[in-house]
Amino acid sequence: MARKQRVKGAEALLLSLLAEGTDTIFGYPGGQVIPVYDHLYDYRDRLHHILTRHEQGAVHAAQGYARATGRVGVCLATSGPGATNLVTGIADAMLDSTPLVCITGQVPSSLLGTDAFQEADTISMTMPISKWNFQVTKASEIPRAIAKAFYIARSGRPGPVVIDFTKDAQVEEVDFSYQPCLYLRSYHPKPDLDTEAITRAVEMINASERPLLLVGQGVKLSGAETALIELAEAASIPMGETLMGISAVPNDHPLFIGNLGMHGNLAANEMTQQSDLIIAVGMRFSDRVTGDVNTYAPKAEIIQIDIDAAELGKNLPVALPIHADAREALEALKRGIRHCERPQWMEVAVRKQAEEQREVIDPALDPSLEHITMCRALHALAEAEQGQAVIVTDVGQNQMFSARYSRFKETRSFITSGGLGTMGFGLPAAMGAKLGVPDKEVVAVLGDGGFQMSIQELGTIMQNKIGLKIIVLNNTYLGMVRQWQQLFWNRRYSFTELENPDFPAVARAYGIPAERVSDPNELNAAIERLVQAQGAYFLEIVVRPEENVFPMVPAGASLSNIICKE
Amino acid sequence: MVKEYIVIAFTENQIGVLNRITALYLRRKINIESLKVSESSIKGISMFVISAFTSSETIDKLVKQLRNIIDVIQVEYYTNEELITQEIALYKISTKLFRQNGATDRIVREWNARIIEINPSFVVVEKTGTREEIEQMRQEFERQQLLQEFTRSGTVVLHREPWVQALPNQIISQ
Repeated sequence: MARKQRVKGAEALLLSLLAEGTDTIFGYPGGQVIPVYDHLYDYRDRLHHILTRHEQGAVHAAQGYARATGRVGVCLATSGPGATNLVTGIADAMLDSTPLVCITGQVPSSLLGTDAFQEADTISMTMPISKWNFQVTKASEIPRAIAKAFYIARSGRPGPVVIDFTKDAQVEEVDFSYQPCLYLRSYHPKPDLDTEAITRAVEMINASERPLLLVGQGVKLSGAETALIELAEAASIPMGETLMGISAVPNDHPLFIGNLGMHGNLAANEMTQQSDLIIAVGMRFSDRVTGDVNTYAPKAEIIQIDIDAAELGKNLPVALPIHADAREALEALKRGIRHCERPQWMEVAVRKQAEEQREVIDPALDPSLEHITMCRALHALAEAEQGQAVIVTDVGQNQMFSARYSRFKETRSFITSGGLGTMGFGLPAAMGAKLGVPDKEVVAVLGDGGFQMSIQELGTIMQNKIGLKIIVLNNTYLGMVRQWQQLFWNRRYSFTELENPDFPAVARAYGIPAERVSDPNELNAAIERLVQAQGAYFLEIVVRPEENVFPMVPAGASLSNIICKE
Repeated sequence: MVKEYIVIAFTENQIGVLNRITALYLRRKINIESLKVSESSIKGISMFVISAFTSSETIDKLVKQLRNIIDVIQVEYYTNEELITQEIALYKISTKLFRQNGATDRIVREWNARIIEINPSFVVVEKTGTREEIEQMRQEFERQQLLQEFTRSGTVVLHREPWVQALPNQIISQ
């Protein structure tokens, strides 16, 4: 039992956060969290508080921090509008399994339910989008609530937790002592490995001629990267990544065949359709991965490994569901694997990669093009960074081009809003990532639309001297919607064209060195200046207005009907 | 095929569990026909009995998602045939009509119901039985134009198999 200390509830919260190893809080003050902020003033040396310019920025920054570090991200907001502004990020973290503890102020408990000033029913609102939530109305509840919050947020399939903290509980005194939460009788985050299922999976893999590993974010979340690669190498199994799985495997690995799904690579999608055995690890067969489920992987039996039993067989039937931690399962699997080479199977990848190069990539890199293409811009960035940078994207074409053309050597190097597809995520998430891994180069790749959903966070970057590199790909369109309008809605560009401000001037107004490049011949030099810059740097790249992301599996179509051009 | 499924859940007796459970039905737009929450045979653990019409595939996925709720200890689903189910119903009839109508005594006897209160203005009849029995008796009273008010409980259930243990031993022993 830790030593007891007489403190107020607000201070008990800060002591609890420290006990959980928190070093950074992203937040925004307001009337019902003033007591917490008052104590935070005395803890500035131990708890690094980042004042964002909007609560949505705070929660996305906490997400970026969590995704880059693997630790729990913490954000803090006031009641009412502060809490409602967190909602998008909480929903995003829920879909993308991001461990967060979100603390919201609340009106005094005597006023609950009275429509008091800045009262919102935070608990009810966040219920369907949080892994767990709890309202603290007594200071004595704080240590246990925070201990449970961290335990639940980071264990099993991680997710966001909301702690709603009434103002009277913040100022009430309590004898503080802290014990971490290690067990809850109603919650079993770590399934026992089913050794019979593992044996059967080994037999299936050994009998397979064209096996394929689908790599989801679960591989990163469980630290299974090495086990995955060892398994793949033992049996020469090619690996394709989901959007959320990107960077789990180094791109230059000979068995890496690219990304899966809607804007994935030809090789990964073609091999899905040809495979006789799919081994899905920590991925959930999202509709963006499968396209039409009825024609998905028609020749394959499926082994699905997931720590969340509700994901097993949720979106399509699987022959062998394995409810397990990815790392444990992969380590057990590789012990029984018979070594073999599959040169013919890998031929498919080589052939498809060549086809994609010829049909999609080479035309977009054509030096005679008048405009810079997004393909070229991301290509140039990848060349300059040599796989060393953490790439954080917004949502839309910027995201898909980043996913396709970035190169990664290290895990947790690609951070994006996958499940919810939240525009405005990129800039604040990149700030959080940079603060989490300050020694790494972090580049935010944004579109002109999404950048303007969080443009105010330039102020956070200025005030906290965050050495973040920012690229805005400006095509003066909400590009992904425009692409759909072009391809499927008869080119009716309904409200997708943007008249934009002078972006570098905006960045410079926030004290961030900035430039714009539009000439393809000046692109590489501009990117080099961005890479070499000490501290924050802003680069607007003016790109071809009507460029499309290809290949593309139209929504609801079969992976076999992937298209490479308009 | 859509049919009635009865979900039995044991949960921590915590604020918000009910909302989290019903929210998962709401999300899939499944209407809850009947819902009963009460303390189980173990202090601090609530028992939910929820009946709703849906497909076997949907109820299977829904129950897996219910298991992910942190305060949910155990969830299973059943069809009606697998359970002994009973409801209780109360029927209010004006005392005057009750006395005048010769059928009332017969209905109460035939349906194995009982009178639990008589006062100068109304009589309350109580019936325990399956939902169908309760409904049939209601229709009889209505045919006789006797019924003033009617109310029905949710379902209480027990497993048919003698060996079914409702809760894991580790919870019971705590």
